[in-house]
Amino acid sequence: MMASSYNAKEEDGHHSGAPAHGGAAAAAAKSKKPDNTAFKQQRLPAWQPILTAGTVLPAFFVIGLIFIPIGIGLFVTSNNIREFEIDYTGVDVDSPCYSCARNFSWNNTAPCLCSVDFTLEQPFESNVFMYYGLSNFYQNHRRYVKSRDDSQLYGDRSALTNPSKECEPYRMSDGQAIAPCGAIANSLFNDTLELYHIDSNGTRNTIPLVKKGIAWWTDKHVKFRNPGGNNNLTAAFRGTSKPVNWRKPVYDLDPSDPDNNGFINEDFIVWMRTAALPTFRKLYRIIQKKAVTTPTLPSGRYVLNISYNYPVLSFDGRKRMILSTISWMGGKNPFLGIAYITVGSICFFLGVVLLIIHHKYDTRNNSADIPN
Amino acid sequence: MAMEIFESGLSWEVRANSRHYHKHKQKKSFLCFHWGRYADNVVHSYKYSPLTFLPLTLFEQFQRVANLYFLLMLVMQCIPAISSVPWYITIIPLVTVLSVRGLKDLVNDMARRRSDFEVNSRPCDILVSQSFDSAQWKDLCVGDVLRIHKDQVIPADLLLLCSSEPHSLCYVETADIDGETNLKYRQALSATHTQLTSQPSDETLAAFDGLLLCEEPNNSLYTFRGELHWQGECHPLDHAHVLLRGTVLRNTAFAYGVAIYTGADTKILRNSGKQRVKTTQVEKVFNRVVIGIVLSVLLVALLHAILSGVFSSQVMGNADISSTVVVNANPVYTGFLTFWSYIILLSPAMPIALYISFELIHTVHSQFIGWDMEMYWQPAGRPAQARNTSLNEELGQVGYLLSDKTGTLTQNRLVLRQCCIAGEIYGDASVRAEDVEPMDLSWNPFSCGGLHMSAPSLVEKLRGQQCPPSRQFLTALSLCHTVVTEWKEEALFYQSASPDEETLVGAARELGWVFLSRARDFISVSELGVTRQYQLLALLDFTSKRRRMSVLVREPEGGLKLYCKGADIVILERLHKDLQYQERTERALELFSQACLRTLCVAVRSVPEASWEQWRKTLAQSAAMATCDRDALLEKLYDQMERELQLLGVTAIEDRLQEGVPETIALLQQAGLKVWVLTGDKKETAVNIGYSCKLLDPDTRLLEWQELRQILQAPDPGVSFFKARQMELWAVDKKMAGAKTAVVLTGPELAEFDQRPEWGSTFMSLAEHCQSVLCCRVTPGQKADIVKLVRKHTSSVTMAIGDGANDVNMIKTAHVGVGMAGVEGGQAVQNADFALSQFRFLQRLLLIHGRWSYRRISLFLRYFLFKTCGFALVHIWFGFFNGFSALSMYETWFIALYTVLYSSFPVMCLGFFEKDVSAESSLSWPELYKSGQRQELSSPLILALSLLYAVYSSLVLFFIPFGVFYDTALDYQTMAFTVAMAATFTATIEIMLLTRNWTKINIAAVCVSVVLFFIGTGITHSTVLFKKAPADYIFIGVLAKAFVDPVVWLTALLTAWTAVLPSFTAHAVNITLTVHDKQKVHSISPQPVELKSTFRRGTSLRRSPNALF
Repeated sequence: MMASSYNAKEEDGHHSGAPAHGGAAAAAAKSKKPDNTAFKQQRLPAWQPILTAGTVLPAFFVIGLIFIPIGIGLFVTSNNIREFEIDYTGVDVDSPCYSCARNFSWNNTAPCLCSVDFTLEQPFESNVFMYYGLSNFYQNHRRYVKSRDDSQLYGDRSALTNPSKECEPYRMSDGQAIAPCGAIANSLFNDTLELYHIDSNGTRNTIPLVKKGIAWWTDKHVKFRNPGGNNNLTAAFRGTSKPVNWRKPVYDLDPSDPDNNGFINEDFIVWMRTAALPTFRKLYRIIQKKAVTTPTLPSGRYVLNISYNYPVLSFDGRKRMILSTISWMGGKNPFLGIAYITVGSICFFLGVVLLIIHHKYDTRNNSADIPN
Repeated sequence: MAMEIFESGLSWEVRANSRHYHKHKQKKSFLCFHWGRYADNVVHSYKYSPLTFLPLTLFEQFQRVANLYFLLMLVMQCIPAISSVPWYITIIPLVTVLSVRGLKDLVNDMARRRSDFEVNSRPCDILVSQSFDSAQWKDLCVGDVLRIHKDQVIPADLLLLCSSEPHSLCYVETADIDGETNLKYRQALSATHTQLTSQPSDETLAAFDGLLLCEEPNNSLYTFRGELHWQGECHPLDHAHVLLRGTVLRNTAFAYGVAIYTGADTKILRNSGKQRVKTTQVEKVFNRVVIGIVLSVLLVALLHAILSGVFSSQVMGNADISSTVVVNANPVYTGFLTFWSYIILLSPAMPIALYISFELIHTVHSQFIGWDMEMYWQPAGRPAQARNTSLNEELGQVGYLLSDKTGTLTQNRLVLRQCCIAGEIYGDASVRAEDVEPMDLSWNPFSCGGLHMSAPSLVEKLRGQQCPPSRQFLTALSLCHTVVTEWKEEALFYQSASPDEETLVGAARELGWVFLSRARDFISVSELGVTRQYQLLALLDFTSKRRRMSVLVREPEGGLKLYCKGADIVILERLHKDLQYQERTERALELFSQACLRTLCVAVRSVPEASWEQWRKTLAQSAAMATCDRDALLEKLYDQMERELQLLGVTAIEDRLQEGVPETIALLQQAGLKVWVLTGDKKETAVNIGYSCKLLDPDTRLLEWQELRQILQAPDPGVSFFKARQMELWAVDKKMAGAKTAVVLTGPELAEFDQRPEWGSTFMSLAEHCQSVLCCRVTPGQKADIVKLVRKHTSSVTMAIGDGANDVNMIKTAHVGVGMAGVEGGQAVQNADFALSQFRFLQRLLLIHGRWSYRRISLFLRYFLFKTCGFALVHIWFGFFNGFSALSMYETWFIALYTVLYSSFPVMCLGFFEKDVSAESSLSWPELYKSGQRQELSSPLILALSLLYAVYSSLVLFFIPFGVFYDTALDYQTMAFTVAMAATFTATIEIMLLTRNWTKINIAAVCVSVVLFFIGTGITHSTVLFKKAPADYIFIGVLAKAFVDPVVWLTALLTAWTAVLPSFTAHAVNITLTVHDKQKVHSISPQPVELKSTFRRGTSLRRSPNALF
């Protein structure tokens, strides 16, 4: 694409062959004479791309021609992803969760239940990922992000009973160390979502939600460890206190499955991987495709049952439930495709503009560059 | 006695041979307390001991503002409440910088320590109780009597007591002090000479108990004042009695002396002052930009702190989830802490690594200058030298070249070409010196060739004893000088501080008047084989102010004669009124100077015995006076003696142009430099040299003082200047009118500028339109004043080039000083920033090294600014989406390693190897140099644009990933990695766009940086490190996860490309437009260096007279 010249100017021995004078003075003079090496004489062989309008302008078109198809591909892929989103915060009076949202208190022992009906217009064919989405939730606030103790989460015994200072003010409770300590853990998302399909004759069919496999492998297997293995967590966590906002201690997060309990509970791990921006979603459950013939989620009516535990109205936040299929590029992401198309078009446009400038200033011969 | 000491200022007391007296007064110090008076003779140039190295080097380095700033950052990072990034982020670059510099200092110090040891342990012979013992320099003490052997270096400032030579003369070589390789003689007092050499034994020396009173130690190498009180008599002392430390004894078997000043008190050590620090224009602009960055960082931090407070107060109401966000439930306090956190977070925008890289690049560039084979001067075995390693880029921006003439433009290898005796001109200057037919001088046994003057008629007259004035003329030449003789292998050699004298004495020898030897009071001269002894009564020495020297001698016949030689203007005004040859001599002077010859007038006076007696008494009185008054008084006295002279003749010496001078000047003028010549010579000589070296064209109109004065006084100088020009026939347009005019000024006229400071700017704006400015008859001080004038009224970079001690002032004053390592000694070089051996090497120094350095350093600074700011400013935008909490956008390790590992190598390579055009093309297209003069690459505007570009790229670096990551399940750590990858790619692509010269090293550096990014990130994201310290390596697994995520890759690539798009477009626009420009260069100068072949010396000489008169 670019014309290039390769000048290897290693003129060795051209100047070093000066006649050698006899005597000490000449010898002394000789020692001061600079070496004739390519490096010292700044004659290192080098590739000097000769940039001319003829080589640079096509670059714009080539970049444009690469970016625009990529963008279109991304955009189409993103559009083919089925996504359904429902806000269940309960801001409006007529929304089902309005009363739960209003009457929230951390001290409630009984969960407030509400259910939202919705209809999927189109069937979801492949595996469906169920997310919860939060808005205006600053999970990336520095004080919040730092408020954790990775040593404790790694199962370090001394950190378990003596967590890092970073966890303040969620470090100690009633003289006992909090496990897991810190603000992130304390604010664990604890709504429970259940999904039912209402078939044509009006019966509610529970849709099985898989709760394992939603966390990163390294998180699940390296970063988060229970103190003293996964057995007998109650004993392992003795002498610690549950986070203030939690209803149950960490070793009761999933009593049914010892591989998903304590610090290695996947819901907990997903929550602990903090979001980049104040509006984010986190993987909640996976709905696996059962049979080849039927879609994972056929079109039709559904009910979302929520045990409403997580208050977001106090900071003007929103809660959403999202159902989405995924592609090779993950979830729906129209921005990337559009961005590629835009940047590609700009390159193309710049190319055209430069071409016009070039033609306007067209010189009689293009080789009139200073030879390198 | 005390009162007397106080009055004369001679308070330094030395007692010979009394060690115990001085020993307990020796200077000592403990910690910072010093006491004692006399320094010991141990040189301590090293600074560090094993104990003090660490504290001292740290103390020195933290005096730099940048380092201190980062230390402050480090301290702040250790405060948990505000630490937005851990402390080790700053310490990695800081420790790298500190240790590199510390190591460099240590290596230098070790070298100093070694050389100190070597110097301190040199042997010397000290008189200890009746006999000379071999000791080392460091054992020497004030008052000790020493014996110096031939060719030995003198260990301290000594008072010469006696020597093995007759009259206790001795010769020293002062090469180490002033670079002059000729011998100078020193002579003991006749009192000590007679007393101590009558019975030459150690006992007499041991019994010497003189008391020396001298001035306090000072740095004046050429003056000394003191008194010797011995045997009840008081003898005045001056610098001719003193042997200085560092000089070498020559031609003398032994010399004995008593130490006056030792160690740190010696003149040479007092002189080793610190070089004045010069900073370059680019650096100044850049420092301003850095200050700007710091201020904007402070502003942004303040803004974010306020917003953080607002944010806190909004969320404070709900104590549940976000309760950690507000510290102590106090938004104001939270904001206050956030302020400091942001200062820490944004501190990488202040490029710390820049300063060390900057220094490294400068050092390498200086090495390149020294390594350049084509600036190596084979005959002298001298490469070019960059003595100041921090001014390289300034070489690419020089707008004004102010050059000395003698020795710089000319060779300073002087040849007597013509002379005029009694109105008669001998010799012919129109023939080239090499082509002169040698005269038959076989009758003269002392002749050894080297006379390039053919004047058989003169020889005839001399040998035929017909013409007394010509005989007297040659007697004057052989007597009136300060030349020293040396016999080497049966041949007579002359050595002198002034090349003119050497030439004249040599010429006199060829013509039969052979200067044989010089004793304290006698000069022997062989006049056509007859040896005559002249008694030397007084030597009225040469100063640049007096511009003449004289000797007063008693002839063997008994008559008193004063021989004087000096500049025509001073001699002519001292001549006896009625003179027969005056008119013809003045014509001859005119002719000589038109032929570019240096002229000296020679005159004689017969002094009556009575006036001599009287004059002698006054001289003796005034010699004992305090320094300042004495000099003025002596001058007045000398003036009285040098009166009523009788003109003998004029000598005309040719000072030949150096090789390649006209070509170089023409090339530099094409490169847009204004070349000015400042010389002490006559106006005619200077103008003629100006013509012969192509500084002035044959049709250049000279603007002289009268006319210039009218223009300067005119209400609107610009208009009247052009009006004056338009009267000329050849003035086609205004531009040409200026280009074909040169201003010629002389020293006395320049002095008027002092009274009319408002003329300065007018003159400069006028001079800017002129082809050149010649300043003649200027003193060293005026040379510096002219440099100051240019510096004051233009923004251009000035360069002064000179070779002699009279140029030192100007070299020091200019932005860049270049010293010519030539015949006239080394003082210019000692004070210069660059040392060259030939004027024509300036071509390479400026057009190649300077231009490349300027380009490299400008690109380096711009890129560095872009790289660090673009990378750090992302945090500002991220702040808007994380509650202004100063959360870092990057993994902490990335911040630490980015500047040191991931982006530093390619830019260093750019700084070392970048060149846009080859060396040959740089010389062929001198116009390319103009971009440096216009500061095209380093103007504040360009740097501001780079900053703007950095801001743009930081916006892109944040907002494209923001769009992608908004409302997705991708987490903060993945985004941090994506942005980091995009930042690294951006930095890499940008350097690839900037690099035009791809050596293998460049390619390797770019590849290594990217690979290092992935390796480094892989390591900090690894399981192994996480298990060692879970809290420090929380990014575990991110690389593995993100590496296979197409979204991360696509985002990073798009971001990086979008971030460099403006730069790429700018390059493209530049290329599209400059192809056009470069073609213009082609059409303007089809054969840019055609001058090389057309210049011939002879033709240009003939051209000048009509232009001048």
